[in-house]
Amino acid sequence: MSIMRLTGLAVALVVSLLFAVFVGDQGPWYFAWVVGTVMIILIAGAGAILLDAQDEQASEREI
Amino acid sequence: MELINPGVVDLSRFQFALTALYHFMFVPLTLGLTFMLAAMETVYVVTGRQIYKDMAQFWGKLFGINFAIGVATGITMEFEFGTNWSMYSRFFGDMFGTPLAIEGLMAFFMESTFVGLMFFGWDRLSRPAHLAVTYLVALGSNLSALWILVANASMNMPEGAHFDPDTMRMQFDSVVKVIFNPDAQAKFVHTSVAGYISAAMFVMGISAFYILRGQHKAFAARSFRMAALFGIISTVAVITLGDVLGRLDYEHQPTKIAAIEGLWHTSKPPFEPWLAFALPDDAKQENHLEIGVPFVLTPLVAHSFDTPITGMTELEEQAGPRIVSGIQALSALRRYGQGHDPADLAQFRAHEADMGFGFLAMRHAPGQDVTAISAAEMDSVVRQTEPDILPNVFVTFWSFRIMVFLSLWFFAVFALSAYVSLKNRLERNRLLLKLCMWSIPLPILATEFGWITAEAGRQPWTVFNRLPTFLSASSHSVGYMIFSLAGFALLYSAFIAAELFLMFKYARLGPDHGAHGAHGSHLTVAHDRKDAFSIVSSLSS
Repeated sequence: MSIMRLTGLAVALVVSLLFAVFVGDQGPWYFAWVVGTVMIILIAGAGAILLDAQDEQASEREI
Repeated sequence: MELINPGVVDLSRFQFALTALYHFMFVPLTLGLTFMLAAMETVYVVTGRQIYKDMAQFWGKLFGINFAIGVATGITMEFEFGTNWSMYSRFFGDMFGTPLAIEGLMAFFMESTFVGLMFFGWDRLSRPAHLAVTYLVALGSNLSALWILVANASMNMPEGAHFDPDTMRMQFDSVVKVIFNPDAQAKFVHTSVAGYISAAMFVMGISAFYILRGQHKAFAARSFRMAALFGIISTVAVITLGDVLGRLDYEHQPTKIAAIEGLWHTSKPPFEPWLAFALPDDAKQENHLEIGVPFVLTPLVAHSFDTPITGMTELEEQAGPRIVSGIQALSALRRYGQGHDPADLAQFRAHEADMGFGFLAMRHAPGQDVTAISAAEMDSVVRQTEPDILPNVFVTFWSFRIMVFLSLWFFAVFALSAYVSLKNRLERNRLLLKLCMWSIPLPILATEFGWITAEAGRQPWTVFNRLPTFLSASSHSVGYMIFSLAGFALLYSAFIAAELFLMFKYARLGPDHGAHGAHGSHLTVAHDRKDAFSIVSSLSS
């Protein structure tokens, strides 16, 4: 990994942490929205991937 | 002083309600579909499976139809504040205009710029770059809602501003207080997540339609699964945030919460029932045909078992001293305006918190001038003004209940759908699939009733406890208002008809139509463009 990319990721991490601390303190419901939306997207995505796995398993059983 | 014709005020209110409710038929879908597209595209980028790109493109096309019409209906509302609510804009423009300007400059531009890249960038951007663009569209559309709701929260719970007696308007003090207003926070999350529910039901309903017809099976099963999971978590979140908003109203807008619960007299905890059904009679100040669930109201509203909730009759009585104080504030303000005497300013400051109640008394003052009220007339003016602090109880009570009952329906439908989908038994549950299809418009209806609860419940104020609605309108003629109202109704009805026609057309055609036959080729790009342009030209013709 190049030093530039590492620096970029480190900056993103620091900005995210500062954002979380400030918004979590000043606006807990805004923070909940950010975290909650990410969670909803990930769970919906995981559900779709699980369906792919279920389909593959069913195909293997048929074979 | 002559007050604005009450007929003009009512028509202005009706026109704003009409345009806002029309506009809000499009907004929830935009707020939620963008994040659903982001979820689908995330799976595409992670797994590399073409079907998720197909999903993002197809649902993106339906999002595009909704987005174009939604934007068109929203723009007129911003001008309406100036044309129909000039007194309000004069009094509260600093507070209200700032978030609206930020919305236009930041969120709206961001959303509009990236939406083009999202539609036309599939073959021009790398997968991660396109995914980032989709997330920026989602963020932009939700930030638009954020700024509108920040502005709305300032009306419901004015914070970060003070009244300046020299300019006779509210002046902006603290941007942080305005943005982080608790009402803005809760209302934004509640509204945004309500949009997620609308989008989830939309995707689930259309997918159910395909499954029932045996079409696009793999596409529909994945769309259904993602929407069901998206919807069930969103429904839990929206109910949680609804409770937070109720709690805020209990603390800051007791008249709204009493009207929502049809509570004419202070409650008797812990038995006080939560009314599932009643016919509130505003004129007689009582309910007919009450059906309630005992022991529920107190913990639901006050989050305790022994706190009495003040009823509307008692709130009217409590308003009496505030009306007297408000009249004193306006009298001192009038004298200060004429002589700039510091003693008058000091007296105004002592009663400033009740100034709005003084405005409210204007309707019953001789010559609509509160400074002309004699000591003998004061009691009569106060008694006549007291009932004015209440909103329309019937409308507030029932709009709230329709929203709540619908949200419980969504919970049941999403929970069952998620379970059946996870068990891979969708095709065997045709009744559930039909219910999903028929439920497509219900979340949008629920958000409309949510808005009616919030806005009708805030009455008689445009700025809570500060500026009454009857003083906020512009002094148009009744004829002008009827003409513009009819124009808006016709135009917006045409927009709705266009949206429904295009949605039905493209939903029926399904994901195999046009672009989704040969993915990634130049032919596909040409088809994509043709589809996008045909949608735009259908809208404009």
